[in-house]
Amino acid sequence: MLSFDADQPYRLHDRVALRPEPFGALAYHYDNRRLNFLRAPELVALVESLGSHDSVRHAYDASGIDARRWPSFEKALASLAASDFLVAT
Amino acid sequence: MEPTDVIDATESESEPVADADDLVEEELLVEEISIDGMCGVY
Repeated sequence: MLSFDADQPYRLHDRVALRPEPFGALAYHYDNRRLNFLRAPELVALVESLGSHDSVRHAYDASGIDARRWPSFEKALASLAASDFLVAT
Repeated sequence: MEPTDVIDATESESEPVADADDLVEEELLVEEISIDGMCGVY
């Protein structure tokens, strides 16, 4: 498994669909048929914005998410990358 | 008689206490579930 590097750019995998939900979103990967619950609207917005930033850290900065919450978000993004929902670009 | 260790209870009192504002509970933001084997459910 590749390690997650927040200094690198990532984007949502082309074969992943996000369905908005009250708690955040459901993410489904059409290739590996995995399903993830994204349990915060801020995480959904962050994931959707990753592709337009040259690193995950820049996406954090632009998101307005309290920096004290970043470790939890980074853990979530690492988990999504490990499941191939996010790909390094 | 063997010497015994004595724990100084005052040591723990001198440890720095984190500011409550710095404490952020870790959030579980992603939960993955497997849908393999559910084909026959629907």
